Amino acid sequence: MIAAGKGNLTDRKHRQSDGLSEAEAIERAKQGDAEAFETLYNLHKRRVYSLCLRMTANTAEAEDLTQEAFLQLFRKVGTFRGESAFSTWLHRMAVNVVLMHLRKKGLPVVSLEDTTEGEEDAPKKDFGAEDVNLAGSIDRLQLQNAVDRLPPGYRAIFVLHDVEGYEHNEIATMVGCSIGNSKSQLHKARMKLREFLKTSRAEKAGKR
Amino acid sequence: MTCAEFENALPDFLDGGGGTDLRSHAASCDACSELVSSLQAIMTGAKTLQGAEEPSPRVWNSIESALRREGLIHEPRPARSWHLPSFSRRWGAWAWAVPVLGALLLAGLWLNNPRPAGDRVAAVPAQAVPVKATAPVKAVVAVSPDDQQMMQEVAVRAPMMTAIYQTNLARVNQYIQDAQAVVDANPTDDEAQRSLMEAYEQKSLLNEIALDRSLP
Repeated sequence: MIAAGKGNLTDRKHRQSDGLSEAEAIERAKQGDAEAFETLYNLHKRRVYSLCLRMTANTAEAEDLTQEAFLQLFRKVGTFRGESAFSTWLHRMAVNVVLMHLRKKGLPVVSLEDTTEGEEDAPKKDFGAEDVNLAGSIDRLQLQNAVDRLPPGYRAIFVLHDVEGYEHNEIATMVGCSIGNSKSQLHKARMKLREFLKTSRAEKAGKR
Repeated sequence: MTCAEFENALPDFLDGGGGTDLRSHAASCDACSELVSSLQAIMTGAKTLQGAEEPSPRVWNSIESALRREGLIHEPRPARSWHLPSFSRRWGAWAWAVPVLGALLLAGLWLNNPRPAGDRVAAVPAQAVPVKATAPVKAVVAVSPDDQQMMQEVAVRAPMMTAIYQTNLARVNQYIQDAQAVVDANPTDDEAQRSLMEAYEQKSLLNEIALDRSLP
């Protein structure tokens, strides 16, 4: 089961203020109803845009990719038969649009750092070296900034797994890497984030 | 178990895997315990990033423009076959008076000129105009689906006006039928053509008044 589809169950059941459910909107969009397209967009825009923004760490690119993902979806909405969740279909499409964009830009979707062990840029383990404890809740903006600082390869895997909820086998298929590679990069991404967040907190504490 | 061994097994441990030795190490080693807590906090925090941002309105505007350009959005078809402007939007609170005045106007027109096409009919050869001047109106003119829709609307919105609308509708339909008969008999008769146009305009006006939201 695609975890990404689970999280959106509420969205699918949700009705817009105009009273149009997602299922109704899909059927009407197939007939070319402008209001239905807008309803579908409003139901999913935040999740698609956030995915694009986290993966690219760039607002303008994220908006362009959101537009592209929705256009691709709307062009194909006539072929949607409802075998899978509409949100799953859309988000998979959005992921593909972003990955394609990253490849076109020449950015490694799978981090090159993963091919060697013990490289200089590998996350530090920091066992017992920090006074700052990250346990408990983490500020969303701080985490957002830390994710944006990740190398693109780490960032992509982290966003797909920990934010969007895809499984490693799905990520491996989408990104074009092995499952082991996906797991390894995810771990390194988390360790990097921990390092960034600790540094950020230590700097903040030092300023006080 | 060493801390390095623990970290190697950490991804599986965080996914809920790992044996007793991992759990006992995590419980007994402060550094590894803190590491697990930190990573779990990051994993939990990551969920809050899902759908956290809102795109600017520019995105939907661009999508909508592209959909229209590509012909994927179809404009809705009008519900009625008449395209007169809406009285309710223009007349605001006075709109309630429109159907009453319109009905009275049509009734008045009819009383002054009960057979608008009659004079014109007289201008053409009698044998060419099979008009049943004395036939009851309702018996002659068939009720179209549009007429039915109009009367249903009137019945719902202004039940007290139903009889007036019914009468005027029947009369204007009769007017159209008579005028059409004259045109059919004399296709080149300009006056007959104008009469037919006028008949349709009256019906259009009646429908606009009846179906417009200005009805009380």
